[in-house]
Amino acid sequence: MRGRADEPGGKAMTAVAVGGSVARRPGLPRFLTSEHPLPWLLPSTAMMVVFGVYPLLYAIWLSLHKRNPVTRLSPFNPTWNWAKLFSDERVWGAIGHTFLYTAVAIVIELVLGMLIALLLDSDRRGYGLLRALMTLPLVVPPAVTGMMFLLMLDGSFGVLSRGLYATGLLSPETPILARASTAFFGVLLADIWQWTPFMVLIMLAGLRALPKDPFEAAAIDGASAAQAFFRLTLPLMSRIIALAVLIRGVDLFRIYDYVKVMTDGGPGTATETLTAYAGTIYFKNADFPYASTVALLTLILLIVTANIFIKIFRVRF
Amino acid sequence: MRPSLSGGVLRYAVSIFVVAVFMFPLFWWGLSSIKPRSAIFDKDRVVFFDFVPTGINYAVTLLGQSRSEAATAAGDTFGVGGASSYDSRQTIIDSIVVAVGSTALTMLLAVFAAYALSRFAFRGRQAYLGWVLSQRFMPPVAIIVPIVFMFHFLGLRDTLGGLIVIDSLINLPIAVLLMKSFFDDVPRDIDEAAMIDGATRLQTFARAVLPMVRGGIAATAVLCFIFSWTEFLLSLFLTNSIRTLPVKITTFVTSTGSEWGFIAALGTSAIVPSFIFILLVQKQLVRGLTFGSVKE
Repeated sequence: MRGRADEPGGKAMTAVAVGGSVARRPGLPRFLTSEHPLPWLLPSTAMMVVFGVYPLLYAIWLSLHKRNPVTRLSPFNPTWNWAKLFSDERVWGAIGHTFLYTAVAIVIELVLGMLIALLLDSDRRGYGLLRALMTLPLVVPPAVTGMMFLLMLDGSFGVLSRGLYATGLLSPETPILARASTAFFGVLLADIWQWTPFMVLIMLAGLRALPKDPFEAAAIDGASAAQAFFRLTLPLMSRIIALAVLIRGVDLFRIYDYVKVMTDGGPGTATETLTAYAGTIYFKNADFPYASTVALLTLILLIVTANIFIKIFRVRF
Repeated sequence: MRPSLSGGVLRYAVSIFVVAVFMFPLFWWGLSSIKPRSAIFDKDRVVFFDFVPTGINYAVTLLGQSRSEAATAAGDTFGVGGASSYDSRQTIIDSIVVAVGSTALTMLLAVFAAYALSRFAFRGRQAYLGWVLSQRFMPPVAIIVPIVFMFHFLGLRDTLGGLIVIDSLINLPIAVLLMKSFFDDVPRDIDEAAMIDGATRLQTFARAVLPMVRGGIAATAVLCFIFSWTEFLLSLFLTNSIRTLPVKITTFVTSTGSEWGFIAALGTSAIVPSFIFILLVQKQLVRGLTFGSVKE
């Protein structure tokens, strides 16, 4: 995490020592008193181990079993599901959709978010209200967002569809969510609407924290606004941008709600992401071991991708 | 960086336009919730105000009026019948119980851990923080199948208690990291002064430090409430009869046609509490979304 605030250093150490010597109840070992971090951390750690770590280990154990759909038994067969991943074309399709979806959404949301943040970064009257309004999409339940766009993109009476037909971009015979080549953009639209405000907010925070001096110096040297943006604003905000991309990227990678609500992976498997596929295996085939395997694959790909990103861009929290 | 005055009006106009574009789906959603059925489904009447407003959709979903009664009362015999349950009163109560319960549980667990992570120097502290962060980044889908089995075994499947537990698990990492950042803002001198006066750590925490992070607690709790209120995937997997709002709404979509009026009414009702809450914590929102690492 970041900076000095995270280093308790000498002061806290003395504080522990002082507290410990002043009020230690006799009889209790020190690690069970409030002078030791253990009792403080125990409840939340227990929660995360019991309902977070243990299920993860359980999922790994589950993935080593082969389910027999007839007998409904799942005998131990450690390679079955993992080998199946490689021959399952839907997995490869889902990996492609997941990466494509994540990359396209991130780029659009980041660029749009930065532009809107630059636009709204003003101390003048009226801008505060606009900034407050921009936060509203963030708190709409994603499932409801999916429904909103499902209604607006309905092939017959959807307001956005009618608009698209009027501009000639689409025809009523090919509603956006019904065609494999365009359904992807329909789902993307919901994501962009809901999460561009996330980027706007974080970029605004970054813009507001920028030091004034370099910009004044650049203005004196006759730098244009574009030069100032690319040479000063972007480099100075690199940490915050990398952080925003990482947080958003992780959430995008495990996208489920919009896909489930809007297309359920369809038409066919055109918008099926990894999490959506895992859900389908669970609900439709009841093949729990294989559903776990696909979910674990999602986790592995996420960890690898996120760590590569963290290494390249040196993300710090 | 600040633009010249001449561009001021144009810039404000563009800003209003951009924000209006983002507000449109919400406007449309609210509008659809007060449209009669016939106005929603008529493809030739997709105009803004070409209808007589109706409260039917709210009466059915929020007040439990029967669907056919509502339709007959409105003189709209189109689409009467159908056995689906659109009465969502129990759903709303359940959603509130889950959101409030999980927020309370999360905060109770998080404040202690966050205080320790902010104040104690111990080996593995950074590693522990990293582990907490990784918990936040774990896709829920990776643990959902075992959670279903575990909950079945523990009798938590399809119960409010189960949803409270699982939503707390999801919120806990964010709450711990965020509360730690609020504790970090409180000077350590406060702790030291209290302990020199003879207070134990626990007394110091409860009487001296905790009152100073009230604002942070409120902001964190609001965010936890919203996350729980909007959570979809886990509720979908873990419940059959109990439904939280986001899951309930999706059941209104059927293969024989979707009841968009009811969906929009319930959807609008689901959004309103979040909007009220989020306006209360505007100032801490960025901090919350970045787990305390970006402060405004």
